Amino acid sequence: MKYMIMMFGGLGDTMQTRTPEWITGMQQLMMKLDTELKEAGEVVAGHGLVDPSQAKTVRFHNGAPVATDGPFAEVKESLAGYWIVEASEERAIEIASQVVAYTEYPMEVRRIMHGDEAPQL
Amino acid sequence: MAAGAVNTDHRIGDLLRQLAPQVLGTLVRRHGQFDACEDAVQEALLAAALQWPAEGAPDRPRSWLLTVAGRSLVDGWRADSARRRRETVVALDPADHPPAAGPSGADRHDTDRDDTLVLLFLCCHPALSPPSQLALTLRAVGGLTTAQIAAAFLVPETTIAKRISRAKQRIRSAGARFELPTEPERTERLGVVLHVLYLVFNEGYTTSSGPALQRTDLTAEAIRLTRLLDRLLPGEAEVAGLLALMLLTDARRSARTDADGRIVPLAEQRRQQWDAAAIAEGRAILTRTLGTGPVGPYQLQAAIAALHDEAPTAEETDWPQILALYDVLSHAAPGPLVTLSRAVALAMVHGPTAGLALLGTLDTDDRMDHTHRLEAVRAHLLERAGDIAAARDSYLRAAKMTANLPEQRYLALRAAKLHHPAPPPHADPVG
Repeated sequence: MKYMIMMFGGLGDTMQTRTPEWITGMQQLMMKLDTELKEAGEVVAGHGLVDPSQAKTVRFHNGAPVATDGPFAEVKESLAGYWIVEASEERAIEIASQVVAYTEYPMEVRRIMHGDEAPQL
Repeated sequence: MAAGAVNTDHRIGDLLRQLAPQVLGTLVRRHGQFDACEDAVQEALLAAALQWPAEGAPDRPRSWLLTVAGRSLVDGWRADSARRRRETVVALDPADHPPAAGPSGADRHDTDRDDTLVLLFLCCHPALSPPSQLALTLRAVGGLTTAQIAAAFLVPETTIAKRISRAKQRIRSAGARFELPTEPERTERLGVVLHVLYLVFNEGYTTSSGPALQRTDLTAEAIRLTRLLDRLLPGEAEVAGLLALMLLTDARRSARTDADGRIVPLAEQRRQQWDAAAIAEGRAILTRTLGTGPVGPYQLQAAIAALHDEAPTAEETDWPQILALYDVLSHAAPGPLVTLSRAVALAMVHGPTAGLALLGTLDTDDRMDHTHRLEAVRAHLLERAGDIAAARDSYLRAAKMTANLPEQRYLALRAAKLHHPAPPPHADPVG
């Protein structure tokens, strides 16, 4: 089974309240976890996203799609990055818990739907 | 023994990549049809990569590859001969070209030399987009497999395969011939070849996402191909300049990140970690090249890199000399990124305020809209000027703009270091 583990939030807002030591600790944790998951082959895909302040939102406005600056959601609810892991739900929750234990900020774990994949070799 | 096997694999890999453009050149001379020949050589390389490590390389590896590739070419023709018969346009018609030289002696050597050069020019054909030029050059001249190229660029193999086949179609429809372009086109095309090699190098050097080893392969391949080009065109000062630039830059590679993969800026790098042999070679190339021809942008950038490499400590860097070179470079090859680097040199010689004033001229430059570099440099100069609040804002703006994760981490940390709030009693970590 595949699960998407999602992180939220924006960089600028994290920086306002955090010490360099805390940020260093978080960066180390994320790099270590990312390396471990990749080396174990548990990660199918994973990317960080550029800060939400750089986002464009395309809305249907006056009968046509219009692009505006900024994210759709509030910055703290905006997607910051994700992993897709090949794992049980229990394991996916356990991975997310390792991050949440440090950041104290929620992460979301969602199962990926299947049925539309290309045939696997 | 495992180590021996790895060495053998490496030797075979090196041999295959050295022979790849020679075999392809011979085939195209014999049969025309660059695109079909290129596929055939790729199949022969794959077959060799499977067979040779187990059975040992054949006594005449070049003939082996030619035979296997030739067979694969004929098989391909048989398979779709009906389709091919309907095609009236055949790019690279062999009838237009002299037959291949004999199989031995100096003639063959010269032909191989020319073939490799012609292939480089063909793969860097101006009708192709830069990503296609890169992929095709690495496969047809570099002898890399589609899978290796895909791994190096962190994209799916099918993407690279499509890019290469589209590139070959475009070469065909552009009516390109298997011959060296003549002047003045040759000089212009050489510029494209150098730019493609420069892009391959940068792809490996500046993007630090993904497994480091694969990226290093790209810089190594760029250096190998530029070295080859330098041997083929010994009189071209800019080719030598590019080779020197790559060596002098790549020499600092292992000091650019710490054990955790974090960026270490030039001024804070452990200089004893720099590759002394690469620096010596780059300097030697530069010394014998400067003054032999017109001094172009690659030689100037190499000369700047050499000045950084020669300084025993960051404080001893010869900034006045570097600034003088940037002055020349900003006339020879003006552009916003040159202005950006020149602002740093200006700040080091005349103080941060002078540098910041020059940066101000870039604020209205559209070409800087999508890069974080302007803000990153501004942040450093503001910090040097003692304007801590503005520096912090600039670091944060740069961090928000960058799409490179290690750079984002570096910039975010620099911002945080300029601001040491006590942790708030009630933590709300991300929001």
